[in-house]
Amino acid sequence: MTFKGKPLTRRNFLQGTLGATLGMSVMGKRWLKAGQKAAGPSLVLIVRDKAAMDASNTVNPEVLKSMLDQILLKFTGQKTTKDVWLSLVKPDDTVGLVSTTHLNPTHPEVVGAVKSSLIEAGIPENKIMDAQGGPDKPKACTALIALPALKAHWLTGMGTVMKIYIRYSGKPSDYHDENNAKLGETWSLPFVKGKTRLILVDALHPLFDKGPQVDPRYKWAYNGLIAGTDPVAVDTVCLRIITEKRKATRGEPWPLSPPPLCIEAADKVYGLGTSNWNNIRVEHFGWEEDLLLG
Amino acid sequence: MPESKPILPKTVGLWTRPDSPRLVNAKNIFDYMDGAGEIYLGYCFDHLEAWEFESRTQKAILVELYFMKTADDAFGLLSLDWGGEPVDLHQSPQENAGSVNSFLPRALYGEGLLRIWSDAIYARVMAYQETPESKEAVLTLGRSIVKGRRNPQAPNLFQSLPDSFGSDWMLLKERATFFRSHLVLNSLYYLGQENMLDLSLSSEAVTSPYERKDAKGKKRIQFLLVRYSDNKHASQALSHFHRAYLPEYPIAQQPVSSKEMASVFSVEDGWMGYKLRDNVIAFIFECPDQETAKTIINQIK
Repeated sequence: MTFKGKPLTRRNFLQGTLGATLGMSVMGKRWLKAGQKAAGPSLVLIVRDKAAMDASNTVNPEVLKSMLDQILLKFTGQKTTKDVWLSLVKPDDTVGLVSTTHLNPTHPEVVGAVKSSLIEAGIPENKIMDAQGGPDKPKACTALIALPALKAHWLTGMGTVMKIYIRYSGKPSDYHDENNAKLGETWSLPFVKGKTRLILVDALHPLFDKGPQVDPRYKWAYNGLIAGTDPVAVDTVCLRIITEKRKATRGEPWPLSPPPLCIEAADKVYGLGTSNWNNIRVEHFGWEEDLLLG
Repeated sequence: MPESKPILPKTVGLWTRPDSPRLVNAKNIFDYMDGAGEIYLGYCFDHLEAWEFESRTQKAILVELYFMKTADDAFGLLSLDWGGEPVDLHQSPQENAGSVNSFLPRALYGEGLLRIWSDAIYARVMAYQETPESKEAVLTLGRSIVKGRRNPQAPNLFQSLPDSFGSDWMLLKERATFFRSHLVLNSLYYLGQENMLDLSLSSEAVTSPYERKDAKGKKRIQFLLVRYSDNKHASQALSHFHRAYLPEYPIAQQPVSSKEMASVFSVEDGWMGYKLRDNVIAFIFECPDQETAKTIINQIK
């Protein structure tokens, strides 16, 4: 990407002019407020269970299923998980499950639990597909469930929600390096926009530094699932958890570097949701220890 | 002593390797590790051999041998993170000869992952699950990787980092890093999205925080030193940086006869300064006052 006008620097963060610089100089005016933000606060739910993984970090499927049921019911207020899914997708939808596929991938147990729950709700198995990959995948789907794994990323700060559709662009390398601020574009592609019914983050065993290549010293058992429909709000909560974990680890502030430009840009440039903590309503259930919400 | 290629044992403990590794080069590195490939391409990378040791009873052990074009580049990769438990993989004092400054370990272990700098190889040996058996196997593999190989010195530029500025500001050795790429710089200390320092594989850089502790608490400043291939590149890079980072300050014209130019500036997070001498630029960021910035800049040799 060739930057036009002022380059984005550390000083923009310190001045609090990041959004304006991103919008006017980095992406151009056409993207400003391109999306439709929901009125009112965005709801993000966290469910945790200390027993979700054992001491060797093996997932307990029964506990995971219980967590999934709980987060779905709490999120929608429906009485059964079938009602939940049918409020999010139609029986004739082709539902794509979009997971992080490698380097701290989404646990297959999480993908499996979601798929089983959809089938139990009456969605035919042949209408549920793995939708991670190139642009043909979302084009074949009428509804998407985003299932990213929670992780920090050395090129983008965060590598969770905003990054999950990077391969839909057909040119992932276009969003590497300084171009990571443009990741909101991937959510605004014509064959992606409006299809995401739910974002469910696998926060069972997150990675808080040096991602995406795994260093086990920077993984910890958070034992959580995080859900919402506002991708920016969900990523903002994920960022808060990672930031608090880093602070707790070093005993002092340890900000992500580079800062996760893609989250603020998703809000202020692409209008995909809110990154303003005051506009996010976080509700949490289950295991309370080290919740890391600040 | 010529560099020898590591010979990995066919079997180590409960684990056995395949006959041949997966070979990864600059063209297919993103297929192997997505965006993490940029880290290695930000150094002088040649190729990677990846071996997966399998066991019938325990999770696999992954051995990644990154063949870099220089020992400095392999060192740089280890210097990205000095955390973990230092381990000595050499089996005799003779093998350990030529070691660098005593504070610099050549191998670090933590929770199943062993990282090694061995001449022009950077290695990662990772057990997907740490057990007593897998730890022993990982360390055995580490010993086979370094066996018979040279122990060159750390890069000259890295060794030129002062231990302190004055008597107050002390080098945080465990945060000092050697690198060549602006992407790596931004992962260590974020300056901006653009490559405003014109960093490339032909340049070398080191950065580290320095810390002052007193009754009021502790304060850190960030030091950055970049060496370019020649004076012209250094001068152009400084102009580029100045235009991008300090647009409100007129850039001083370097007298043709002068080999040195130094300035300090007030910015949002304190005072910063730079000094250009020949093909090297030194930067200091986040100084608490003008005097500190001037003193440090003038102290840089």
